[in-house]
Amino acid sequence: MRRILEHPILKRRSTRTVKFYFEGKELEALEGETVAAALIANGIDVFGETERGRPKGFFCAIGKCSSCLMIVDGEPNVRVCITPVKEGMKVQRQFGRSDVSW
Amino acid sequence: MVRTQLLVVGGGPAGLCGAIEASRRGVETLIADEGVELGGQLVKQTHKFFGHEGFFASVRGFEIAKRLKDQLNEHVKIMLQTTVVGIYEDVVVLYDRQSDATFEVQADYILLATGASERFIQFENNDLPGVYGAGAVQTLMNQFMVLPGKRFLMVGSGNIGLIVSYQLLQAGAEVAAIVEIADKVGGYDVHLRKVKRFGVPILLRHTIEKALGKERVTGAVVVQVDENFQPIEGTEKEFAVDAICIATGLVPSVELAAMANVKIEYVPELGGFVPYRDQNMRTNVENIFIAGDLSGIEEATTAMIEGRIAGLTIAQSITKMDLSKEIESLQNELVEFRAGPFSEKVRKGLSKFFPQRLVEYSREPQTDTGPIGKLRPIIECYENIPCNPCQTSCPTGAIEVPKNINSLPRIDYEKCTGCGICVSKCPGLAIFMVQENVEQGFDLVVVPYEMLPLPEKGERVVALSRDGKQLCEAQVVKVVRFPHMTNLVHLKVPSGFATQVRNFRVKKRENVFVCKCEEVTLEEIEKAIDLGFTDYEELRRYLRIGMGMCGGRTCRASVLSILSRRLGKSPEELLKGHFRPPIMPTKFESILRGESNEV
Ligand SMILES: Cc1cc2nc3c(=O)[nH]c(=O)nc-3n(C[C@H](O)[C@H](O)[C@H](O)COP(=O)(O)OP(=O)(O)OC[C@H]3O[C@@H](n4cnc5c(N)ncnc54)[C@H](O)[C@@H]3O)c2cc1C
Ligand code: SF4
Ligand code: SF4
Ligand code: FES
Repeated sequence: MRRILEHPILKRRSTRTVKFYFEGKELEALEGETVAAALIANGIDVFGETERGRPKGFFCAIGKCSSCLMIVDGEPNVRVCITPVKEGMKVQRQFGRSDVSW
Repeated sequence: MVRTQLLVVGGGPAGLCGAIEASRRGVETLIADEGVELGGQLVKQTHKFFGHEGFFASVRGFEIAKRLKDQLNEHVKIMLQTTVVGIYEDVVVLYDRQSDATFEVQADYILLATGASERFIQFENNDLPGVYGAGAVQTLMNQFMVLPGKRFLMVGSGNIGLIVSYQLLQAGAEVAAIVEIADKVGGYDVHLRKVKRFGVPILLRHTIEKALGKERVTGAVVVQVDENFQPIEGTEKEFAVDAICIATGLVPSVELAAMANVKIEYVPELGGFVPYRDQNMRTNVENIFIAGDLSGIEEATTAMIEGRIAGLTIAQSITKMDLSKEIESLQNELVEFRAGPFSEKVRKGLSKFFPQRLVEYSREPQTDTGPIGKLRPIIECYENIPCNPCQTSCPTGAIEVPKNINSLPRIDYEKCTGCGICVSKCPGLAIFMVQENVEQGFDLVVVPYEMLPLPEKGERVVALSRDGKQLCEAQVVKVVRFPHMTNLVHLKVPSGFATQVRNFRVKKRENVFVCKCEEVTLEEIEKAIDLGFTDYEELRRYLRIGMGMCGGRTCRASVLSILSRRLGKSPEELLKGHFRPPIMPTKFESILRGESNEV
């Protein structure tokens, strides 16, 4: 379990859960959290692979480094560390640069 | 096209403060921030701030963010999840993630408060999942309450490395070590002491050589370095950790400033490439201002002051009000905050842009530890940091931080009533209380405590030293809870330990069994002893200990040694209990069969 249930300073903000899908598997997230937080809470650290085939996870968690790019609802290159999770969202690992539509 | 008088890029402490000051003077302000909530780095800071009351000293970072947001008025529009992607001569382009569309803003003035990003360092496998920025881990654990690992290695001992380590402990994680390449710790001594007293090892002159693992981090190799920071072969140490936090510094996010034709200069003391600005936070481009980490890596209090100065100067230009008095007083605040030794680098860096003023402070430490036998605070704050809540929180005026907030605090024991308020207010958790001979053979120590579980009155805990070493057993005699979560735990310790005990460890008691047959735990036995069951036979009758299938062979010796420890008696003095046959459970059936055999 990666969620902090008891904390000396902080109180939980939300206990409402939403369902989302990671690689087709249904997972639970807390409302208001980012996709990255939800994945980490579910024990998923590998968000994709680089062009060279190395595993990739998050690094800065504030939208600066682009280490956390994933495919969200079909859209590639989404920084999941600053994307709030939504009911029914489909999240997939991204391999390399994916199909970029600049 | 959206029109606004002021566009604030970044809603951290600097941007918020700029918006507050400008909007208070009626300036139409738009704040764009790419995050999911306002507050920048503040939203993940759970520790209390230094500084003085005027700037939220002793208030926790996330609380400061709330208070700043509350100060925004009707002249402010907020756009979250919106990134400013480009600044052109006549227009600014923003991208709104929610609508997945860009739009344009025309602004008379721009305040850039984009903050900084974490410095990435080079070592083998530094791209593995599990190698995370310290700020990133802080975001996950304090903003979203998710821990991305169980056991962490912290790389870097600046304030961020120290604070995040402490917060990891609060979140229930383990910190295997903090490694620091320099020969001394970079952050404040009071932050260092907070982690040291939990026994976190600090490895100076060490760096990380590589991360281990295939899919994700499973360990780290740390190595000692020589005077030239080169690894010394043969000194490698391996740590079994599942996450590595990088806290090796921040780099100002200058991209937008640079594309807006702001002069960028290389000032290593300020964090590398930084935009030029004057004392009013105005850049070389007339209508572009900067504030906060973007203008030089410092901390949140100076970011707030800079933001206010920028906001006031912009409001002055737009409204033609005379705000020079307000601006000047904030500039003086900055001079005060930057007067201490920790700001030497920043002063040196800033002197490239404008001359620096110095103010005097006192370096004289408290030497007197007060009258023996009186309940009184001991202040262990020995560095000149800009901080004075100890002084301002004391209801009797017993503590003084003379001249200016960088001075060392001093206490007048005659004025002190021993109320303990300063202990719970000090953001450095650097104040303790002691009283000798509260009872024959015992002293009292009061420690500020921000961990879970909070012990209960009467509980026995393990007393720890300033280095987190086990010293003796202590008994909790009182727990005083404070609404801001720095609680005070009163510990009764053996005489002579009051000068050494500065922390404690709650004994882990869940599922610690002494008697497996009857499932009796250590905690139950200790409680029973405290209730007055002071010999083996009594405990046996009360708890059924030793009455199980093994006939006491597993637990008898343990119970006797627990009794001996708890009662302070030697094992010989304790009654060992009666020994009755059978020593192994023997069925009545078997006995009857045996008896009939004899017949
Ligand atoms: C881990 C950590 C611990 C710290 N601990 C302390 C401490 O104990 N005490 C202390 O005083 N200071 C501390 N600091 C430093 C302090 O938090 C910073 O100095 C302060 O937050 C700087 O404020 P800022 O407003 O300049 O930047 P930030 O707080 O970083 O805010 C910048 C904001 O700009 C937004 N942004 C950036 N680029 C764009 C863009 N292009 N478009 C839209 N929005 C954008 C970001 O999303 C962010 O919200 C710490 C910093 C970190 C990282
Ligand atoms: S214990 Fe109370 S009276 Fe004494 S110095 Fe602290 S705040 Fe002041
Ligand atoms: S003792 Fe005073 S100056 Fe030192 S950290 Fe505590 S409140 Fe600040
Ligand atoms: S982890 Fe850096 S952008 Fe998401």
